[in-house]
Amino acid sequence: MKAPPVSISCRDLTLRFPVYGVDAKSLKKHLAKITIGGRLGQHHGATEVTALSNLSLELKAGDRLGLIGHNGSGKTTLLRALSGAYEPDEGAVEVEGHIAALLDLNLGIDPTATGYDNIRLRGRIAGLTMRQIDERMDEIAEFSGLGPFLAMPVKTYSAGMQARLAFAAATAVEADVLLMDEWIAVGDAEFQKLAHRRLLNLVERAGILVLASHDLDLLRLYCNKVMRLDGGIASPVTDIRKLDDLLAA
Amino acid sequence: MDTATHMLRTGRRGALLEAQMALRDLRASGERIDLAWSLAWHDVVSRYRGSILGPFWITLSMGVMVLGIGLLWGGLFRVPAHQFVPMVAVGIVFFGMVTMTINEGCETFVQAAGMLSQTSLPIFTFVWRTVLRNLINLGHHIVIVAAVLVWAGLWGHANYLGAALGFVFLVVNVAWASMSVAIISARFRDIPQAVASITQAAAIMTPVYWPADRIPPSYRWVLDFNPFYHVLDAVRAPLLGEAVAPHTYGVLAGMAAGGWALTFWLFARTRRKIVHYL
Repeated sequence: MKAPPVSISCRDLTLRFPVYGVDAKSLKKHLAKITIGGRLGQHHGATEVTALSNLSLELKAGDRLGLIGHNGSGKTTLLRALSGAYEPDEGAVEVEGHIAALLDLNLGIDPTATGYDNIRLRGRIAGLTMRQIDERMDEIAEFSGLGPFLAMPVKTYSAGMQARLAFAAATAVEADVLLMDEWIAVGDAEFQKLAHRRLLNLVERAGILVLASHDLDLLRLYCNKVMRLDGGIASPVTDIRKLDDLLAA
Repeated sequence: MDTATHMLRTGRRGALLEAQMALRDLRASGERIDLAWSLAWHDVVSRYRGSILGPFWITLSMGVMVLGIGLLWGGLFRVPAHQFVPMVAVGIVFFGMVTMTINEGCETFVQAAGMLSQTSLPIFTFVWRTVLRNLINLGHHIVIVAAVLVWAGLWGHANYLGAALGFVFLVVNVAWASMSVAIISARFRDIPQAVASITQAAAIMTPVYWPADRIPPSYRWVLDFNPFYHVLDAVRAPLLGEAVAPHTYGVLAGMAAGGWALTFWLFARTRRKIVHYL
C-alpha cells in the first residue's frame, strides 16, 4: 500500500485576532512598546493583534520542524492555524494528511466522568469510531497504568493520575501530521520514560512533526528543521544544525 | 484533532465563498452527526451522574406542575380536568423543550471554546449537540404526555401523523433560533440574560398554561403574532385530536425559511470569527 501524500503548505499566512471588550486606546498606550506578543493595531475600527504576518512554509513527509520564539511570538497560533481552528485573514493554509494536535492535554476531559468514559470522549473528538476506541481501550488502559481507577470518576484522581489518563488518551491516535505545543512531560519518572517512548513512536509514524518548544536540546534531538518566530514574523526555515546562528540573529 | 486528510483554509473573502464554506461546515457536521450525538449523550449522562432518576427528575417536576396547574387552573378557568390537564401537559413538555433549547443555545459555543480553538470540528456539530441533548431530555418527558393522553381517553383520537409533522416544524425552527442566539451570545455576553427574559415572557404570552379559546377577539393578535404559539399549536392540537389552523403551517414554513436564511447569513458572516469571540 502506498502511503498517502503528506504535506503542509502556508502561503503568505496572516492571522489577526480581533480583541473584543477592551478599551482600545488605553490598551494601545500601554502595550505599544512592549516586545513580547503580537503587534497591536486598528483594523476597521476594532483593536486587533497581528499574531502572524505573511508566513510562508512548505513541509513534506519526513520534515520535523521546531518552532522557537518568545512567549506570544505566534508559535501556538501557528499550530492552531495548522490544526484548522483558526482561519487565515490573508493567505492560505493547506494540509494533506490526518492531523493530530496535542496542544492541550485536558481537551474534553470531564472530571465527573470515569476514566473509561473520558478515553471514549477524547477518542470521539479525535475522530475515532466507537469500535476503534474499543479496540484500543485495552492498550490505552494498560499504558495509563491506572488499572481499577479507570472505572472511577476522574475527579478522584491525583494530578499525576489525571495527567497519565489525558496523555494515554490523547496519544492513542494515528497521525500523518503531528502538532505539539511543548514536549509533554507528565507523571513520575517511571511514567515519563514510558511517555517519552510513546511520543517517539508517534513521531516516527507521523509524516510531519511541528513542535513548539523553548527547550533547545529537545529541538536538537527531535527536529531536523527549525523556524524562529518574532512578533508573528517568521524566519526562513533552516537546518537544525544552524540553530545557534538563528538564535544569534 | 481532526481526521481530515485534506484541509484548505484561505483568507479569501466574498459572499459566495463564505456561503460555500458555511455550507461545507454544515455538510461536515452531517457526516459526523454521530459525534454530536456522542457529545449530547455524554452531556445528559454527566449531568445526572450519581442520580438514580436522572433526567426523570425534570420529568417528575414537570409532572407535578402539570398536576398542580392542570387541576387548580382548570378549576379557575372552569374547564373540565380531562380537557385541561392534557392541554397543559402537552404544552409544558413541548414548550419546555422549545425554551430550553433556545436558552441553552446561548451556551453552545461558550461551552465548546476548548474544542473550537484547537480542532477543525464543524461548528454546526455543537449546534446539533444542543438540539440533540434537548431531544434526549424530551424523550424522557414524553412519558407525561403518554400517561395523560391515556388517562384522558384521548389516546385513540390523537392525530399522530399531524403531531409528527408539527414536531418536524418545531425542531427545524428551534434549531435556527438556538444557533442564532449561540452566535450572538458568543460575541455579546449580555444576550443570554435577554434571551432568558424573552423566553420567560413567551411562556406567559403563549397559551401553555391557559386555554387559547378564552382569549377575546380584541386580544387575538397575542396569538396570531406569537411565533411560539404556532410552533406549539402545530404539535399540541393534533395530539389533543383538534385541528391545526391551516395558516399555522404557512407561518411555520415561512419562519423556518426566513429564520434559517437569516441564521445562515449570520453564520456565513461570523464563521471565521466565532473562535475569536470566545
